[in-house]
Amino acid sequence: MEWSTNRCQKLGLRPVEKALNPSPSSSNSVRYHPTRDPKQTSFNAPQTSGNPRLDGDKELRSSDSPFLVGTCLEMCPAKERAQRERLRDLSVFERLDGDPARTSPSLAVKKFCRTISNVDVLESDIRPLPVLQNTLKYLMDLVSSSEHSFEVIHDFVFDRTRSIRQDLSMQNITDDQAICMYEEMVKFHIVSHKRLSRCLGKSDLSSLSHLNIEQLMKCLVTLYKLYDINRKSRLLHKNEAEFYSFYVLLHLGGKIPKMGDSLSLWYRQLTLPVFQSNEMRFARALIRYSHVGNYKRFFNSLEAEASELQLCLVEPFLNEIRAQAILYVNYSGYKLHPYPLMHLSNILRIEESELEDLCHVCGLETSTDETGTKILPVKQTTFCLPKSGF
Amino acid sequence: MAYLSMGEAHRRITDYLSRFSDAVSSQDASALSVLFGVSSNSAFLQALADALRVLQDSDRLVERYSQLAEILSPLLRCLQSYGLGRYTDAYVALEKAANAFLQEFRNWETAWAMESMQTVALEIRLLAEKADRELSSSGKNPEKLQGAGSFLMKVFGALAGKGPKRAGALYVACQLFKVYFKLGTVHLCRSVIRSIETARIFDFEEFPVKDKVTYMYYTGRLEVYNENFLVADQKLTYALMHCCPEREDNKRMILKYLIPVKLSIGILPKQWLLQKYNLVEYSEVVTALRKGDIRLLRNALREHEDRFLRSGVFLVLEKLELQVYQRLIKKIYLLQKQKDPSKAHQVKLESIVKALRWLEMDMDIDEVECIMAILIHKNLTKGYIAHKNKVVVLSKQDPFPKLNGKPVSS
Repeated sequence: MEWSTNRCQKLGLRPVEKALNPSPSSSNSVRYHPTRDPKQTSFNAPQTSGNPRLDGDKELRSSDSPFLVGTCLEMCPAKERAQRERLRDLSVFERLDGDPARTSPSLAVKKFCRTISNVDVLESDIRPLPVLQNTLKYLMDLVSSSEHSFEVIHDFVFDRTRSIRQDLSMQNITDDQAICMYEEMVKFHIVSHKRLSRCLGKSDLSSLSHLNIEQLMKCLVTLYKLYDINRKSRLLHKNEAEFYSFYVLLHLGGKIPKMGDSLSLWYRQLTLPVFQSNEMRFARALIRYSHVGNYKRFFNSLEAEASELQLCLVEPFLNEIRAQAILYVNYSGYKLHPYPLMHLSNILRIEESELEDLCHVCGLETSTDETGTKILPVKQTTFCLPKSGF
Repeated sequence: MAYLSMGEAHRRITDYLSRFSDAVSSQDASALSVLFGVSSNSAFLQALADALRVLQDSDRLVERYSQLAEILSPLLRCLQSYGLGRYTDAYVALEKAANAFLQEFRNWETAWAMESMQTVALEIRLLAEKADRELSSSGKNPEKLQGAGSFLMKVFGALAGKGPKRAGALYVACQLFKVYFKLGTVHLCRSVIRSIETARIFDFEEFPVKDKVTYMYYTGRLEVYNENFLVADQKLTYALMHCCPEREDNKRMILKYLIPVKLSIGILPKQWLLQKYNLVEYSEVVTALRKGDIRLLRNALREHEDRFLRSGVFLVLEKLELQVYQRLIKKIYLLQKQKDPSKAHQVKLESIVKALRWLEMDMDIDEVECIMAILIHKNLTKGYIAHKNKVVVLSKQDPFPKLNGKPVSS
């Protein structure tokens, strides 16, 4: 490998070796790197020496210039700090004693800024790996400890982590440490996905949520490349299978903005070990159950096998599949046999009272029978999926 | 290799150059196409490649063909590199020549050179594929096919206008589809399709049949991936009907996608068809549908998982599960009807559980109830579930409606 992991070059000298084969920007707007020729057998051995360039996201860097080596030792370059103080462009987390015009090196974090080319970028503006790691840790701690509302935290961390990825990319940091950082950021987006779906009025939510999912997918795509780049043997990286399963699970419900093509085609480029992993098999099974509508197996499977992060990712979708179950039960039932809510709530892994609420949200009435058991009278004609989701 | 004299080399090169120039001045597109046929590996071009290796300084000879020099100079370089098996270099040179040719093509008023332009389009794609294979195997970034895509878009743009050159656009569109499918960037087909189908530039009927067949094949496949089965059926059936009868291989390719579509709308192919076109991977799927055997379906999908995933039809086939359940329930119903016609329309959920267990499928009564509810909702079964008695009460008339050419409602 021609790049070294020791990035802290205090004199700011560029490395002597130039980047490997920087290829000219193509005129297509999204660079897509298939990992194989689809005419071959559909599964490759995992690549042992992949393409060293991370250009899954064109906005992160211009492809013509050699890689930089950062020298900025603070979370935010001093120049930017001073400028933002002047312009009063400080996030609430960056304000010293609440003053909108004052910050400090321990509070200010470098903002994401779209660059057209690297020509004007100074190495003193780029943070080297150890600083980036500390910055990421700081941001992640903020997520769990801050008392501000989640949307505000999310907004801040969303932007600042994007800047971290930009710095990583500009320095072409693609080693194991990069993997750890990307995995952390993916986790952030997954947890955000769940938390954002729980709060807010629906209209502002959907654009925030979409943007979050978009970044989540971009991180995943880059992460997959990193796994390839760092592959030492044919074995998968420790978390690789799980992180691949996230991509599949994002397709539940079919509402996400797709990054390209249907899942069918995406599967074609997977390597055999990834495809056959338990996590992938589980994710694919969930998709299958949800397509067919088999809510029973869906929830059984979920309870038995889902990891914490997988559960997080899937959570916003769960009420949708529960609503579908209510729909089927209501449609196919017998008028003289109202459906016991407790029975259904067990299958759907939800509290009886929550199921009751869900029925109401879907336009159905519930009631109680002569023994006091809660029931859903079936064959009601007023079922209606709420337009703005759950 | 026999010794090649300088004189002979010189003769071969000037011969090629004058043929090219004559073809242009007499507007002979066929002759010109032959000269562009890099991958044809004809004896003629191989001989030329040998000559180019001997006589290194061919640029000097090209000079006298002033306007065409921009095309000829890189074209000769391409042929030379190709002859030496250096496909990446050959591609780079061909792209230069092709761009120069496109310029000339744009300037020519009539569409006389359409066939040649199409040959160039084809050669660009083929050579880019070879170049990428070469790059990959030496650990480098395979990006030539992507570049080919950009070039082809330029050609497409040149043809998408009012003039007589329009008729060649579908061919180029198909080349683009092939590139995008190979690269996996299938979503890029969308803009091409939009230009062909919705922008008012083209009249689809004007295009040559063979181009229409290819077009329908690729767009039909896209509809399969997007699970628009009725449209997919129309397009792929069109392709099958109008495809050249002798081309069994093409028919096979179309059927590979048409069969899952037909299965999804309840139409089962006969086994002899599958045998004839060597599509036996679908054989067990069809049997599973006929017999109502879920286990067989799952096995078939597992066994040919690789192939189905590669062609992208796996998810379509997975969904056939509901139809298989329908068939199974119907069989149970028919058996009951034989034993006791008066009670047949009431099927105990427990009977279904038992039948599935016999098929080595482990489903509890809740799951059976769930599946029955889905079947009823999707109109694969007519009736209702009496939850307290754990019984499905079937409609006395046509309890298992056939799909009749419509996909399962979603």
